[in-house]
Amino acid sequence: MPEIRVTPLGAGQDVGRSCILVSIAGKNVMLDCGMHMGFSDDRRFPDFSYITRSGRLTDFLDCVIISHFHLDHCGALPYFSEMVGYDGPIYMTQPTQAICPILLEDYRKIAVDKKGEANFFTSQMIKDCMKKVVAVHLHQTVQVDDELEIKAYYAGHVLGAAMFQIKVGSESVVYTGDYNMTPDRHLGAAWIDKCRPNLLITESTYATTIRDSKRCRERDFLKKVHETVERGGKVLIPVFALGRAQELCILLETFWERMDLKAPIYFSTGLTEKANHYYKLFIPWTNQKIRKTFVQRNMFEFKHVKAFDRAFADSPGPMVVFATPGMLHAGQSLQIFRKWAGNEKNMVIMPGYCVQGTVGHKILSGQRKLEMEGRQVLEVKMQVEYMSFSAHADAKGIMQLVGQAEPENVLLVHGEAKKMEFLKQKIEQEFRVSCYMPANGETVTLPTSPSIPVGISLGLLKRELAQGLLPDSKKPRLLHGTLIMKDSNFRLVSSEQALKELGLAEHQLRFTCRVHLHDTRKEQETAVRVYSHLKSVLKDHCVQHLPDGSVTVESILIQAAAHSEDPGTKVLLVSWTYQDEELGSYLTSLLKKGLPQAS
Amino acid sequence: MDPECSRLLPALCAVLADPGQPVADDTCLEKLLDWFTAVTEAGSSLLLLQENPCLVELLFHVLKSQDLSSRILSFSLRLAGIFAAQENCFQYLQQGELLPMLFGEVGPLGGAAWTAPAVRSGWIQGLRTLAQHPSALRFLAACGAVDTIFSLQGDPSLFVASAAGQLLVHILDLAMRGPAEGHRSPQACDWPACAQKIVGHIEDSLCSTAVPQVTQALSVLTTAFGHCHGLWTQGLWVRLSPLVARLLEKDPVPASHSLVDLLLSVARSAPSSYRGLWETLAQTLSHLSPTQAGPLALGILKLQDCPQALRTQAFGILLQPLACVLEAAAQAPGPPGLLEGAAGNSMTVDTLLSSKSACVGLLCCALAHLGLLQPLPQRPSPWPQAPLLGAAVTILRLCSGSAAPTSDVGSRLCAILVGCGRVQRAALDFLGALSQGTGPQELVTQVFSVLLEYLVSPESSSMSWMPVGHFQRLLPRKNEVRCSLSPCIPSPSYTPGRGRGQAGQLTPGPAAPLFPLQVLKKAFQATLRWLLSSPKTPGCCDLDPHTQLFLRELLPVLQKRLCSPCWEVRDSGLEFLTQMTRHWGGQAGFRQALLASEVPELTKQLLRDPESYVRASAVTATGQLSSWGLCATPAGHECPGAQQESLLVELLHILSTDSEGFPRRAVMQVFTEWLRDGHADVAEDAEQFVAGALQAASRDLDWEVRAQGLELALVFLEQLLGQRGSHCPYAVALPETAPPGVLAQALQVLCRVQLFEFAFRALFDCDRPVAQKSCDLLLFLRAKAAPCGSPQEAGDSPNVASVEATLQRWQAGEQGQPLGYLEPGAVVALLRSVDLEGLRDTLAESSDHVEKSPQSLLQDMLAAVGVLGENEADCY
Repeated sequence: MPEIRVTPLGAGQDVGRSCILVSIAGKNVMLDCGMHMGFSDDRRFPDFSYITRSGRLTDFLDCVIISHFHLDHCGALPYFSEMVGYDGPIYMTQPTQAICPILLEDYRKIAVDKKGEANFFTSQMIKDCMKKVVAVHLHQTVQVDDELEIKAYYAGHVLGAAMFQIKVGSESVVYTGDYNMTPDRHLGAAWIDKCRPNLLITESTYATTIRDSKRCRERDFLKKVHETVERGGKVLIPVFALGRAQELCILLETFWERMDLKAPIYFSTGLTEKANHYYKLFIPWTNQKIRKTFVQRNMFEFKHVKAFDRAFADSPGPMVVFATPGMLHAGQSLQIFRKWAGNEKNMVIMPGYCVQGTVGHKILSGQRKLEMEGRQVLEVKMQVEYMSFSAHADAKGIMQLVGQAEPENVLLVHGEAKKMEFLKQKIEQEFRVSCYMPANGETVTLPTSPSIPVGISLGLLKRELAQGLLPDSKKPRLLHGTLIMKDSNFRLVSSEQALKELGLAEHQLRFTCRVHLHDTRKEQETAVRVYSHLKSVLKDHCVQHLPDGSVTVESILIQAAAHSEDPGTKVLLVSWTYQDEELGSYLTSLLKKGLPQAS
Repeated sequence: MDPECSRLLPALCAVLADPGQPVADDTCLEKLLDWFTAVTEAGSSLLLLQENPCLVELLFHVLKSQDLSSRILSFSLRLAGIFAAQENCFQYLQQGELLPMLFGEVGPLGGAAWTAPAVRSGWIQGLRTLAQHPSALRFLAACGAVDTIFSLQGDPSLFVASAAGQLLVHILDLAMRGPAEGHRSPQACDWPACAQKIVGHIEDSLCSTAVPQVTQALSVLTTAFGHCHGLWTQGLWVRLSPLVARLLEKDPVPASHSLVDLLLSVARSAPSSYRGLWETLAQTLSHLSPTQAGPLALGILKLQDCPQALRTQAFGILLQPLACVLEAAAQAPGPPGLLEGAAGNSMTVDTLLSSKSACVGLLCCALAHLGLLQPLPQRPSPWPQAPLLGAAVTILRLCSGSAAPTSDVGSRLCAILVGCGRVQRAALDFLGALSQGTGPQELVTQVFSVLLEYLVSPESSSMSWMPVGHFQRLLPRKNEVRCSLSPCIPSPSYTPGRGRGQAGQLTPGPAAPLFPLQVLKKAFQATLRWLLSSPKTPGCCDLDPHTQLFLRELLPVLQKRLCSPCWEVRDSGLEFLTQMTRHWGGQAGFRQALLASEVPELTKQLLRDPESYVRASAVTATGQLSSWGLCATPAGHECPGAQQESLLVELLHILSTDSEGFPRRAVMQVFTEWLRDGHADVAEDAEQFVAGALQAASRDLDWEVRAQGLELALVFLEQLLGQRGSHCPYAVALPETAPPGVLAQALQVLCRVQLFEFAFRALFDCDRPVAQKSCDLLLFLRAKAAPCGSPQEAGDSPNVASVEATLQRWQAGEQGQPLGYLEPGAVVALLRSVDLEGLRDTLAESSDHVEKSPQSLLQDMLAAVGVLGENEADCY
């Protein structure tokens, strides 16, 4: 029995370190290869030893697919390909391919900077890893090999985020990665066609939440920044090099323009140009509004946002600074935070979640006296704000996607067990499909019934249509034809076409039977008697007496002959085709009863 | 335990025990366990529990509570295991009957919580940590844990199942170690009951008809033989090897992969101690299919001491697929094949021809295994270098469609392999590995020819733009191949990689990608390995004529690759050029060929490539070319100084203006190398060069550029003042101060190039590696400057006081104000006044060590209660 097997190595009933193994019709695919920001030892990466156990990695895995550039989906990739030793293809969309190395480099620098970690992947490894990437376009079917094909769909979440359909023969799995079903300021909504996969693997971050509009959060953000700047304070926004930073830059840029604000906005990473370059390059991936306005003005060409210099942090007066890293755990953002923390006029806005072990986590949990190096205590007087800008589908969005794709089964990942449990029940009730939520390391096995597609010839279809019966997908119909199997393809054609294609001559199969009649008359006379008898009995059928003396009823042929040994007996030879088998049998039994006596 | 932590612990335990206060960050519990492990490893667990009764209270509370999360339950099981690992603490916990309640039938084991894999995993991990002493062993037996572990071997969670297997081995080892270890008979009959039970279970599993059970037993044994080294393992082998051998009688052999792992694990531990092992290995080799036997064969050949007959058999298995390919592709009976008399092994041929995936799988494994074997000292001898080279070349030609096999098998192989990227990559890797050996010239020529074929055109694109050279003439002509393959290839427009289905049944399917970039990259790597290992002509330092000839054909190909629209290709081309130049920059033949080509000019043009990776590689390549005087000149002459200067200016321009870090880092690396190697044009005015480079680096936002700037500064210092001291801990540490005259002069120079401004600024850099590097540099300088002047004279000058004040502001994070010009005397005084050792110690710690401390962890967990709630899953 063919089956689909799914084993999450990460993202099974948790968030972070997404890595899901899917086995479909003998093909093995790894979906995402993420890391966990909360650990700084081996636990930050998925435990790949469970794959290497199956033999050589590159032989076992047919491909790796990366859904988007967030580190919890791609952060372990250079480790996996350059240190663990995977040497096969890696698929991702073009924007992901372009942006992924920037974030990986950012992550590497922080890891090395913060800890001086020596045994970490290097810049060269990131580059070598990226050279194994094959970029895919949306809606383009890519043949990984002769049997395995993948197709990307727009996922919204971040620039270049995609959902992937993985197909082997007639079996298919859709993996959503992270997605957003409502358009936001610079991205559109996720979309997938009614592909009816055997399994839909969907994220479930907001499995139980109905989120308010992101616009409210954006308004709130602008209000807070504006108020702080107005009262002469400085605003620090710790970000990762790419992604949310650009999103917020657009917000501020437009707001600054509208309100004619003069306070400078700085971007500290030195990556602005490249990041913005990519956002410009991938305009087709953004939402309709940005695409439209692109003709007049490129949203990513910022007039107000300028490159930061370290000396600016000490300048008097209001300003807004975007600085890396995003969790205030090292480098530039932490340095600026230390300088500005003591002034209550200033504000720090954390636009994303912070893991334990970072200053970001501390201030978000309300700690205001922070121990710094050398037993120094930093008193945080500046305002601390948390604003979630993450773009995940909420419960409504997830249900909407399930409805769109019409899967046979659903599997939840990237969420918390309790929330998943709730959503699972909802999906099972509403869609009447099985829903699974394996923990990391647990394997879900789904038996699949192999469906064999058969093509129908145009001729045969036309013949059916000629009978006045239009095809209707809801009413299955019986169709007669000849099934031809050729080159692993199945086709149903008319028997004439089959004969023609195969170069065969038509043969006719006839059943014959002998019936003995006691009749002393000549054969011709016996035939005439048979004709008269049948004519009288079979009123609805065409009974003929042919010049050669034989009698026909439809395709049935009856000939009378003399018995070789008994002159008083005549032999009736009855033959018929298989189409008239019923009539043939009836006639035979009729004749066996004898002919009526001549009057 | 830190008193502050001790103070926070009761509150934390209360939070953990409260179901209404979920722990927001799941990493916290892991980190908490790490901390408790460290604390108990450093001291008495019993004392810890006595001093912090809240911990035991927490464990009791967890048992009573009905609605605790599975995470907390799992955490508690693991925590109890950590405490109970010490025997006296174990007894202490036993007094309260806590352990049976946690790990016995009455605990979570029998409850609804057991359905959560995290709880089962916590239960196993808890027991694994706890099982360290005889009391633990008795406890395990008494609470029936072993039976539960047996059942957990088949757990739906991979993690739980795997941990269960490992725990069984751990218990077995613990039971067998004990006080009687030295006297323990290898005879299994008088083993402890617990061990008997486990071994009995393994026996039953090995006899089972269910493959998963056999697999479980085999993996337990693999771990046992891999990790346990007591005498008892011999007894275990004696008892179980007949059952293992019996598996070979089944067709197909069940759990073959696990069986191979087990046999190799036994063979690696102490093979001579295990009776009948070699026979079992030989038997297994002959029973397994060629694909299954490959890893076993490789494992056997890697063993240090192993009977020759077995090695021969194993080597035969690895060679078999290549022998088949060679035989199938041979146009006429040629020289002796790889395996005399065994080339036509029907099983291997059947596998190769059965399906595309089987063929590709078998060939890739064989190539990878042989490639791994090649560099090992224990590789088989004689090593059939020539036939292996022939096989690699043949496979590559079959894949590219340029081979012309006439046999039926050959044609079918060709149809399967043509355009197959996976085999191409494996074969190129293997060919690269074979570069370490020698081969007959004719074959080496073929190697170069096939490499050139791959470098020219992995996509089979047009070759018409290039004149046909010597090596390309060696290639079979394409149309000949097409004719001979006409039964397999449906049309002349057939594209490699489009084949699908069974051998010889190619149909035009949807486009399968060739994956050419990876193939091209491998081709570059293999070519480089061959070039770098090619022999030098005896008595002459130049290249041998064949290599010379090859180079002449290779460079136009490289030229083409440097113009590729794919950045990956341009980059691989540049990396290749850099390596080649580094190795051969001084050889006349190479220089001549390179200068006659347009490669140097193209490389220079790539300094302005749109892709930053490529710009960085171009910087490195140009730097390397320039070091050998090989930079671009239109007339083909080696570059004069003016050109060189312009390169320096161009690199400085990149350093100051490039928006990306990679090219800027590459420039600093090139500059450091130039300075270190005494590059002629740098040496002309080293001071100005260093000043310019440091000035540009100091402004850089990328800390790696600044760190590289310090590297350059250090090289400069060493050139002025002599090398840094040996880092050998056993070397006699003599004072290595510089003579006063040299020092004074050097300090003048360093002040002029503003090295101190750069180094002191870096000392207070917000990026730790920069500060660390600077600290090391200043410490080195201080050691060298020891005899220069007395601290008082310089320290009293007003200049020093103001500089010290500026430095303090810098340390506080205000780096706006410049340091200004420093006198050498002031520098020496500053070096003495700054607490460099103290800074070095601080910098040696991770920059987030305060946030990562246990105290900080406890504070965070307490502070997060009820605050993070909704942010919890809002990860990215």
